[in-house]
Amino acid sequence: MSLPASLAAVPAPGRRWFKQMAALARLSPTGVVGLALVGCFALLAIFAGLLAPYDPIQPFSDQVLAAPGKRFWLGTDGNGMDVLSRTVYGARYAFGIAVPVLLFGMILGIPIGLYAGYRGGWVDEVTLRIMDALRVFPSIILALAIVAATGQSLANVVLVIGILDVPVFARLVRAEVLALRAGGFVEAAVNAGNPTWRILFVHLLPNCLRGALAQMPIRMAWAVRVSATLAFIGVGIQVPTPEWGAMIRQGSEYIISGEWWVSIVPGLALVALVIGFSMLGDGLEEALDPRRNRSAR
Amino acid sequence: MRLVVRLLVQRVLFALPILFAVVLFTFFLIRIGNNDPVGMLAGPTADAATVAAVKASYKLDQPQWRQFAEFASKVLQGDLGRSWLSNQPVTQELLARLPATLELVVWGALVGAGIGIPAGMMAAMGANRGFDHVSRLFSLFGFGMPTIFLGLALIFIFFFVLGWAPPPMGRIDLMIAAPPVVTGSYLLDAVLAGDIGATRSAAGRLVLPCASVAIVYAAPLIKQTRAIALDVLGSDYVRYARASGMPPSMVRGMVWRNASVPVITYAATELTALFGAASVLELIFSWGGVSQYGLSAILKGDFAVVQGYVLVMSLIAMVIFALADLLVMWIEPRARAVAG
Repeated sequence: MSLPASLAAVPAPGRRWFKQMAALARLSPTGVVGLALVGCFALLAIFAGLLAPYDPIQPFSDQVLAAPGKRFWLGTDGNGMDVLSRTVYGARYAFGIAVPVLLFGMILGIPIGLYAGYRGGWVDEVTLRIMDALRVFPSIILALAIVAATGQSLANVVLVIGILDVPVFARLVRAEVLALRAGGFVEAAVNAGNPTWRILFVHLLPNCLRGALAQMPIRMAWAVRVSATLAFIGVGIQVPTPEWGAMIRQGSEYIISGEWWVSIVPGLALVALVIGFSMLGDGLEEALDPRRNRSAR
Repeated sequence: MRLVVRLLVQRVLFALPILFAVVLFTFFLIRIGNNDPVGMLAGPTADAATVAAVKASYKLDQPQWRQFAEFASKVLQGDLGRSWLSNQPVTQELLARLPATLELVVWGALVGAGIGIPAGMMAAMGANRGFDHVSRLFSLFGFGMPTIFLGLALIFIFFFVLGWAPPPMGRIDLMIAAPPVVTGSYLLDAVLAGDIGATRSAAGRLVLPCASVAIVYAAPLIKQTRAIALDVLGSDYVRYARASGMPPSMVRGMVWRNASVPVITYAATELTALFGAASVLELIFSWGGVSQYGLSAILKGDFAVVQGYVLVMSLIAMVIFALADLLVMWIEPRARAVAG
C-alpha cells in the first residue's frame, strides 16, 4: 500500500463520516437492509413498553400454552405468559447485552492494539501470544465455564463476553497501526515532541478506526448470538426473564409435541436481528474497503 | 519425513506455553468464584471434622501453589481427578464420550467443507452472477442462524411437520444394539459389522445434527473462500495466465493452488469454533458426547468435570492447529522452506 494515495483518500473526519455513509448507501444495498432491520429492533427495544400488549412476565394461569389467536397473537408459553410481549421485551435484553459488550471490547481492545502495534518488540510479542492463547478455546465454552464459575448474573455475562471481544479489536487495530507506523505523519508527530498518548490517540487512532467500524456490527451479531446461547444452555439468565435464548430454551421441550410458537417466535426474532447486524457489517465492509470500492464502481 | 518430525517437535515446543496457560486457567477456573467443593463432597449434613477430613484428603488445606503443582502433574499423567458429584474418574468418563462428539463434528465438518470450499471457489469464479448471489444468501443465513435455533428449526420441520427424521434422542434407536466398536463412529462400525438395521438407525439419527454442523461450518467457509479466491483472481499472475490464453480449467487449478493455504488455515480456525457450536447441538439432540457431559456439569456446578472438559476442548483445538500446519506444509513448498 503506497502511503500518499491512502492519505489522499482520507479527508477531514466529519466530512469523511458523512461521505462514507453516502457511499455505503450507494455501494451496498445489503448494508441499508441491515440498517433497517437493526433500526426496527432498536425501536422495539426503546418502545417495548408501548408496543407490547401485555406485561412480559404476567402469567395467565388459565391460558397456558394457548395457540396463537385473537387474544394472544403469538400464543402463550408454558407459564401462560404472552409470547409476543416477551419477544418485544427480549429486544431490550439483546441490545442491553450487545452494546455494553461492544463498548467493553473496544475500550479495552483498541488501546491495547494501538500500544502493542506502536511499541512493537517484546510488548507486541507478549500481547500477541496472550491473545493467541485466548483464541485456542472455543469462545462459547470459555464463556460458559467462566460465567458458571464466577456466579450467574447478567453483569457477569456482559463482562465475560466483553473480555472475549478484546482480542478481536486489539488485533484489528494493531494490524492497522503496523501499516501506519512507518508513515511520515507519525515520524513528524514524534519529532514535534508529542507525548506517546497523544500520538496514539490523536494521530494514530482516527486513522485505524476504519477496520474497527466495519467490525462493530459483526461483533454485535456475535454478542447477541453468544448471549442467547448462554441463556439457552441455562447459564447467566434464567426463565422467566424475557430473553430470547431463555425463551427458546423454555420452548424447546414443546417443539416435538407441537407447541412451536414458544420457541420459534423468539428464535425468528433472534435470527432477524443477527442477520440484520451481519448485513450491516457486510455493507460497511464493502463500502469502507478501498479496494472493493474501485472494483464496484 | 525428517521434516515432519522436526515440524512436530517445533509445534510441541510452541504449544507448551499455551498448554501451561490452559492448565493454569483451568486450575483457577474453580477458584475464581465462590464455589464450595468441600461442601459438595462432604454433603450438606457433614460436621466440622468430616469437612476437615475431606479438605485434607483433597489437599485443599495446602497452599495454592502446591495445589497447582499437584494438579499440573496429575494432568500431565492424564488424570483429571474425580467428579464432585458422582465420584467417577473424569478422564475415563470423557474418553468414553469422545467418539460421539467426534462422530458428530467430523462428519459435519467433512460435509460442510465439502460443500463450502467448492461453493466459495465457484462463487468467486462467477462473481456477481447467479450462483454467487445464491451462495452469498446461503452464507448470510447460515451465519445469521444461531446454532440453537438452527437445530430446533430442523427438528420442528423434519421431525414434527414432515415426520421424515427420527426423534432427536441419541445416536441410535434404543431398541437397537450398538455395533461392536472399531472406529468409534456408530455409522462406520455398523457398516463394518454389516448390520443393516443399526446402519439405518445410526445414519438416520446422524442426518439432522450432522446437517446442522455442516451448515454452521459451510457458511463462513463459503464467504472466506470466495474472498481469498477473488484476491488470487485479481493478482497479476492470474491476469497474465488468462491473457496468454490459458484454458479456464487450468486457471481454476492455479487459483485453487494459491488459495488453498489461507483457506485451510481459516478452515482450521473455524473448526475449533465448530466444537463450540456442536456442543449446543449435542444438548439439543441428546447426543451423549463430551459436550453434553461437560455442559450439564457446568449447570450442576461440578467443576472437577468442567476443568477436564475445558482442558480436553483446548487440547482438541491445539491438535487441529498442528494438523492444519502439517497440511499446509505438505502442499506449500514455501512454508516448508521456512520450517526447514
